[in-house]
Amino acid sequence: MVKLSGHSNWPEWIYVGVVIALMCWVGAEAWEAERLVEHVPADVEIIKVVGQQWFWTFEHEDGTKEIGELHVEAGKAYKFEIHSTDVIHSFNIHDYVVLMDAVPGRVNTVWFAPDQPGTHDIQCREYCGLIHYNMRGTLIVEEPTH
Amino acid sequence: MVLELQKPRPIWQIMFSTHHTDVGLLYLILSIGFLFLGGALALIIRAELFLPGAQIIGDAMTFNRIFTVHGTTLIFLFILPFASSVGNYFVPIMIRYKDMAYPKLNALAFWMIPPGGALIWLGFADFSWYANPPYSIISAPGPAADMWIFGLKILGISSVLGAINFIVTILKCKHPDMSIGQVPLLAWSFLSSSLIILVAIPTFAAALLMLLTDRLGVTGFFNPAMGGDPIAYAHLFWFTFHPEVYVLVIPAIGMMYEIIPRFSRKPIHSYNSGIFAFVLLSIVGFSSWAHHMYATGMSFTEKTVFMVGTLAAVPASALHVFNFVATMWNGRIKFSTPMMWAVGGIALFFSAGAGGVANAAMPLDFTTHDTYWVVGHFHLFVMGTIAFGSFGFMYYMYPYVTGRMYNEALGKIHFIMSFIGTILVFFTQHVLGLYGMPRRVFDYPPIPEWIAMNQIASIGAMIIGVSMVIFLANIIHSAGKGKLADTDDPFGVGGKYYYPFEARNPSH
Amino acid sequence: MKSIIGLFLVLAVLVIVPAVDLAFAAGDEPGEYLDRRVIIWNLFFRMMTIAFVVGAVVSGTIIWQVWRFRESHPKAKPTPYEGTDW
Repeated sequence: MVKLSGHSNWPEWIYVGVVIALMCWVGAEAWEAERLVEHVPADVEIIKVVGQQWFWTFEHEDGTKEIGELHVEAGKAYKFEIHSTDVIHSFNIHDYVVLMDAVPGRVNTVWFAPDQPGTHDIQCREYCGLIHYNMRGTLIVEEPTH
Repeated sequence: MVLELQKPRPIWQIMFSTHHTDVGLLYLILSIGFLFLGGALALIIRAELFLPGAQIIGDAMTFNRIFTVHGTTLIFLFILPFASSVGNYFVPIMIRYKDMAYPKLNALAFWMIPPGGALIWLGFADFSWYANPPYSIISAPGPAADMWIFGLKILGISSVLGAINFIVTILKCKHPDMSIGQVPLLAWSFLSSSLIILVAIPTFAAALLMLLTDRLGVTGFFNPAMGGDPIAYAHLFWFTFHPEVYVLVIPAIGMMYEIIPRFSRKPIHSYNSGIFAFVLLSIVGFSSWAHHMYATGMSFTEKTVFMVGTLAAVPASALHVFNFVATMWNGRIKFSTPMMWAVGGIALFFSAGAGGVANAAMPLDFTTHDTYWVVGHFHLFVMGTIAFGSFGFMYYMYPYVTGRMYNEALGKIHFIMSFIGTILVFFTQHVLGLYGMPRRVFDYPPIPEWIAMNQIASIGAMIIGVSMVIFLANIIHSAGKGKLADTDDPFGVGGKYYYPFEARNPSH
Repeated sequence: MKSIIGLFLVLAVLVIVPAVDLAFAAGDEPGEYLDRRVIIWNLFFRMMTIAFVVGAVVSGTIIWQVWRFRESHPKAKPTPYEGTDW
């Protein structure tokens, strides 16, 4: 063997212990946060989102359809059911940290609760072809009606 | 020993040679050639993104083709062939054998790369290096996509043949006096990365065939319209290409294991922990593939499993950093160019690894997935760690290959500019990703923060570009006009080098 | 060796126990409108705090030893291996 350790190894053990402890911490924190954000409230309103090359369509629970624009109310919770008709897209409202792939043949869900009126960008974050860069929409959060 | 410039011989003698140093030279020239081709594409991409709107590329299709070929080229035609070059030169010397175990197979593995590369470059496909279906099945145009598939197929076979050769050479051809526990760490790195290749690549080879038959319309493995599942492709792809990340990084770490003790004038701190970390990494590397797919609608349990699998790879990488730091401790370090690259590579290795931990944490995926954060993260690995280790080793093996010394000052300028450029480009891209800019976009809305950060990144890329021109001028000029290297101790650091003139090339 | 076990115990108490505790304590009532921005960005910034602290230690160590152990440093002395065939 090449020089069986003439040096002591305890710093290395402590170092590895610290690294493992840090990774346990990261894992536990991430697990907890993921559990919280995946916890869907009971009274969410469902919005059907359809991604196709290269625009977004939305269908509300009451049957209203919108293209490229989505109107929601502040103070309510919404669950997106995300479909795709052609290739994989990724539905993303970055300001609300909403992201979920639109995979043909599957329905993925993600929920959020907008809290203030305002306008936010919707974009596609998975490469989907020619006009991927401009597969954008607008989220308009309105004042609560009641 | 390859000293073509001092003792010229006809080019065909090198091309048809099966001697390991000749094949190594061919790999080296090919990888440097494709480094500049792929790098030029990167500069075009950065120039295009300097401002919103179309700058120098007319249309999105061309842009998409460029980033696809950029990624494919630099991974499969620069990093992997360069590692093979180093392996060809050094593994037989380190295990004290006259050549690779299968010299003809070795030459064959090399000669599969030019046709593979030609298919990729002549086709210029547009579906990104990930080729994700169903886009790659139903939308990606023409012969380009099929040429890419065949090109990757050929490159994959070449990798597997090379891996078999390295494994047999190291395990079966090492000197009888040498136990496996005495094989130097650089050779160990080739052993572990070759084992990963052997296990990982067949999965992608199968996926490529399925992709091809899907494109022909015969089957529908990944086509939902025919009852297939595109997510199945993602699993097959990442089962190969997450371990492949370790295939890229392990030889680079092995190169650092050669450089750092040499220039610290000390043996490696712990040879055993280096081996342990290599072996551990090549096993644990297979437990993390689906962390690329958190956003595809995986269940909470699946996500948790793959997060734990990913985090488990961190201690193994951290052991290497410890080993490097402990080796330099109490040394008398000579900062020649190779050492500067290696130390810079270690520093950036930490940043890349920390970003990787953040990627593994499931909820952060909502903010970072498929944004420029990811681009910054993996470029910090492939450029900041792997290419830095490789450049360091290019300078380190330069006197061995050419018999002359490169220009030390230019080598240091190359390092400093690349280091600054790398930080400017890839750290900025992390922040840009946090602002939400998606990757693989030809154009972006004129949001002031996005513009500013894209411009910083583009300037950084141009700095790297200039440094690479200096590098090219340096190696070409010095090969003919550089001062002759002291072949026993070219860097003046003493000790027993593995390489000086031990390999006897029958043509000399 | 004892001190290492002690260290791990302290780390376990400091890190793992509160995290597990927290995980099983909060957020189970349905109908709660959690703000995902707050949860996710908080997690992100906590992790970045740790990452930058560790990064400062690691790169600080590397920068210091690059400065201290360079061969031109006034206190540089030959390593025990120089002149041998190690």
